[in-house]
Amino acid sequence: MPDGAFFAFLVVDGALAGAIYALVALAFVVVYKASRMINFAVGEWTMVGSRTAAAAGQVLGTGLAGALVTACVAMIGLALLFNRVVLRPLSQRSLLSLIMVTIGVGIFMRGAATVVFAGLPVRIVSPFPADPLVVGGLPVAVDKIAAAAIAAATIAALSWFFHGSRTGLALRAVASDQQVAMAVGIDLHRHFALTWGLVGVLSVLAGTLWSVASGGGFGIELLGLKVFPIVILGGLDSLPGTIIAAFVVGILESLVTGYLDPLVGGGFSHVASYVVLIATLLVRPYGFLGRPDVERV
Amino acid sequence: MGGLEGTPHLLEIRDLHVSYGRIRALQGVSLTVPPAGIVALIGANGAGKSTLLRAISGVVRARQGSVSFLGEELVGLPVHQIARRRLIHVPEGRGMLARMTVLENLRLGGLAARDRRDAAADLKRAFALFPALHTRRSQLAGSLSGGEQQMLAIGRAMMARPRLLMLDEPSLGLAPLLVREIFRIIPQLAGEGTAVLLVEQNARMALQCAAHAYVLQTGRVVLSGPAADLLAAPEVQRAYLGAG
Repeated sequence: MPDGAFFAFLVVDGALAGAIYALVALAFVVVYKASRMINFAVGEWTMVGSRTAAAAGQVLGTGLAGALVTACVAMIGLALLFNRVVLRPLSQRSLLSLIMVTIGVGIFMRGAATVVFAGLPVRIVSPFPADPLVVGGLPVAVDKIAAAAIAAATIAALSWFFHGSRTGLALRAVASDQQVAMAVGIDLHRHFALTWGLVGVLSVLAGTLWSVASGGGFGIELLGLKVFPIVILGGLDSLPGTIIAAFVVGILESLVTGYLDPLVGGGFSHVASYVVLIATLLVRPYGFLGRPDVERV
Repeated sequence: MGGLEGTPHLLEIRDLHVSYGRIRALQGVSLTVPPAGIVALIGANGAGKSTLLRAISGVVRARQGSVSFLGEELVGLPVHQIARRRLIHVPEGRGMLARMTVLENLRLGGLAARDRRDAAADLKRAFALFPALHTRRSQLAGSLSGGEQQMLAIGRAMMARPRLLMLDEPSLGLAPLLVREIFRIIPQLAGEGTAVLLVEQNARMALQCAAHAYVLQTGRVVLSGPAADLLAAPEVQRAYLGAG
């Protein structure tokens, strides 16, 4: 493959991965925006989402669509339960204890998943043809394109929801000031529940797409580690910032895998985004599009 | 007044007590607001005026006493439930969402009014009331001047079509011209049928536009009556109107 084509291949491949990263990162950001809570278990949620979809496909014998719907219902249920049983009783506690709880829940989910899903398939069989599509001389895997397209559509729907609907407006109000939100008649608990319902759906979609695009769900909980540099680079509470950062990290990883990993013996691609993260924070402490808490009084 | 079913008062507060830790901010306040017109609440700094409004809107919990709105007990209800009864509190400092646009802030105000079909008409009315907000509708609320923010706060409250509008120090920190503008708008709202409970340090202007008034001192009502009578009362003149 000539140099230019190799570069283009790496960029496209990275961008496709970036679209899925963006989905996982959005599951993180919606929670952070609504409640300032850092969900360290976002990778585990994605893993359970994908394994639920894989299991549903096997047990129910439905196609991928049926498995996805079933998994979404199950994960919404799980997320609502988590919000009601774990988070709500802790809502008067410090943010730090909530954050520690998400770490604990993450470990619990990993352990529980090996028991609950024992003997069930991990893989979600790709419904797309295995032969790569050749676009402008570049081979691109069909399932990766499809995964990226679905991720992009989901992101577009989510942005419309936040900026074009009444409920989205209310959610953004909760995100910017809970006192004011209550004062205009918004029920905080109902909207926290809604946020977690979204997390349930996003974990199924992101988990399934990742599983399909990467040819198996292996190491999916490590997605969490990829998401932290993304959300911090994006500015934590900015949806567009997060999406941009997801593509930056996806492409960066791909380029590092292609050019640097062969030189250093592999593995540097996993660290590269953290190097960029540190460098960026030195210049822009609030990330690409994050805003410092400054206002006119 | 439709929907009142013979209740003489819109809001009736009886023997309300509120404490912040060991500090007793309200010590048995009783007060009524009729279904229309302006009731003023005046008093020195720390007299408990803001605390009273916060207790009515559910932001602080009353230790004892009752707040009855259209015959329904409000003490113990969560803040959002009280707002949905269209009892709207515009706090001191205005409670703007600084990072959202003027239009978004106004739309949020409309969430408390259940009937969403009228939202467009309400928006039109808010812009008619405050034309400056229309020019700045796409601007972030945090970038408005103090006077514009106060107008946005009142405009947002009006989007809920309030049965009772509680304003906490609407003139605070505003230039004299804007203070006069605010005091031109408040009677206009009242004239259109919104009951107003007005907390003000600017006692003279408050008493001039109100029908009835209460004077609060260290958490108690020490004086009440028709606003015109209080305006003329020597003890009010001495303590709050700066007369010798």
